[in-house]
Amino acid sequence: MSSSAEQGTKSLLDRIGTKRMLHAYVVGVAFLEGGVLAAALGDGRVAFIGSENANAPRFVSVHDGVCLSLAVDLGGERVLTGGDDGRLVSTDTAGETTAISAIDGRWVEPIAVSMASGLRAAGFGKTVCLFARDGSAVGTFVHPNTVGGLAFDPKGRRLATAHYGGASLWWAKAGGQQPKRLAWSGSHLSLTLSPDGKDIVTAMQENELHGWRVSDGADMRMSGYPAKVRSMSWLPKGRFLATSGAEPVVCWPFHGKGGPMGKAPLDLGWGVDGVVTVVAAHPRHDVVAAGYEDGATILVQIDRPHPVLVKQPGEGAVTALAWSADGQHLALGTESGFIGRVRLSDWRAPT
Amino acid sequence: MNQIPVTVLTGYLGAGKTTLLNRILTEQHGKKYAVVVNEFGEIGIDNDLVVNADEEVFEMNNGCICCTVRGDLIRILGGLMKRQGSFDGILIETTGLADPAPVAQTFFVDEDVRRRTWLDSIVTVVDARHVVQRLEDSHEALEQIAFADVILLNKTDLVSADELAQVERRIRSINATAIIHRTQRCEVDLAAVLGRRAFDLDRILAIEPNFLSEDDHEHDDAVKSVCLRTDRPLDGARLTGWLQRMLAERGQDLLRTKGILSIAGQDKQFVVQAVHMLMEGNFTKPWDPNENRESRLVFIGRNIDGTELRQQFDACIA
Repeated sequence: MSSSAEQGTKSLLDRIGTKRMLHAYVVGVAFLEGGVLAAALGDGRVAFIGSENANAPRFVSVHDGVCLSLAVDLGGERVLTGGDDGRLVSTDTAGETTAISAIDGRWVEPIAVSMASGLRAAGFGKTVCLFARDGSAVGTFVHPNTVGGLAFDPKGRRLATAHYGGASLWWAKAGGQQPKRLAWSGSHLSLTLSPDGKDIVTAMQENELHGWRVSDGADMRMSGYPAKVRSMSWLPKGRFLATSGAEPVVCWPFHGKGGPMGKAPLDLGWGVDGVVTVVAAHPRHDVVAAGYEDGATILVQIDRPHPVLVKQPGEGAVTALAWSADGQHLALGTESGFIGRVRLSDWRAPT
Repeated sequence: MNQIPVTVLTGYLGAGKTTLLNRILTEQHGKKYAVVVNEFGEIGIDNDLVVNADEEVFEMNNGCICCTVRGDLIRILGGLMKRQGSFDGILIETTGLADPAPVAQTFFVDEDVRRRTWLDSIVTVVDARHVVQRLEDSHEALEQIAFADVILLNKTDLVSADELAQVERRIRSINATAIIHRTQRCEVDLAAVLGRRAFDLDRILAIEPNFLSEDDHEHDDAVKSVCLRTDRPLDGARLTGWLQRMLAERGQDLLRTKGILSIAGQDKQFVVQAVHMLMEGNFTKPWDPNENRESRLVFIGRNIDGTELRQQFDACIA
């Protein structure tokens, strides 16, 4: 047995990581400026976990119910969360909360923040509202159905939304407009825009992806998943789109002419059992972190077949994964409330 | 992860659905429910969680022509599952004019919903006084009765004993397998309504034999029940082939199909249930060696011919 195989039996988390049990469904994790890890929880709290393991996390009760979504807020030092209490809230690491909006009886699920344009977007059912840095509402976009996913383009000038029957593309700062409608029958649950803003991809109720080229609305179908695709993440420069929903980590090629059409996706992470529930691509390298329904988590490189084990199975399905902006830290969360964190600058890939 | 039981509450406008909902929300039953309602109305909120639904009915592109689901429910149930261990059951209220099929089909179609919840029962509140008229002028009222596992025949104080018996016969001819409770102001032991595991079908066994013969009913409702039974074991391959063909060809007309079947060479009961063309069949518990292995199959639907179905069923006998 080679040394890499021996390393494979012990996870990175066991060797060089830190672990915590927060006892509530981890809805999302994100790294803030200064290395603080934020986790949004199913009991309505946000946990801030410092880089020093000795310090206890700071818990902030943010939502009266469930946190449904988490994003790094403008400035990079706060988190933005949506909840089933109808509130969109910005919270800092000291525990101070600022309610940006509240609509009674609505769930705030899809949210997005554009650092480039200084805008935040949040879906309140069929209505998507845009908020400026000072919290003022600067746009309202009404859809025929509930908006499941939304994303800004790279400059934060356009906003794409996913809903039943397709996607819509809005100008972020224009009133009284009709959106560009990208139609495809079925229910579109979440959405991502390629880093160059040229492609929109939605995950559908029917266990498949649908894509549109923004320039001409050309359709792309990406199917064959055994489960719903809950998570999509672009590799650096948008060369591949990594996705959950299958046993391998399915990565669709978007570089080259015609994008993924007529091409087979890369299947990464063979040898790991179970369905991938979350993916997060490294911000700089062709590396994908993938979490599984049994709680296992791996790192896999595009051009290497063998994954590196980050976390052993257990603690319920992985529900959240995030890299720090510099790609040196990886965090994960599970449905039972486990939080793991690995500093990868402490780790050398087996050669 | 524990699966959470879901009760779907239907009933035509004015039947008393809100009264029942209020009782469930305010009575001390020691249980905590998440309640999905259509709009925040005059309902008391005590210990329970109330969620607003949008009734977004979506068509699925799975090649199943009549397959619609409630997209909002999939989303809501997904959100509720993030609150672990904080309630004992989920109650879904549908609007008075709703077709129950998309709600029921949601529990067959969506994998995440199936993994986390089970459809415990469909409870329909029926206004004893007005239901006869409703059955004449509204197909929704008919479908709500056809889909029910439990029926609260409510407002019984507003009709005579004769009228009540007549109404009950009429309901029976549409839905032969539902459990009927006669109520006033929805006063019924909540244990009779919630946590029934009615979709488990065990209770079909409890329904008395020979409850209805083909020509027992004087009204010709568009929806009726056909009940088939046999003491002889069935051929598994022939039976599932027939059921699949039936549901594929006639799924639009067949609202509910339920059965507990004895398959030749199998020790376990084969339990099937379907909503329109979505079918689930599983071998469940073993037959009791002391019990008569009687197969029972019920179709509730439109344009169904009992004689034809019986012939086809008999052809499946091993």
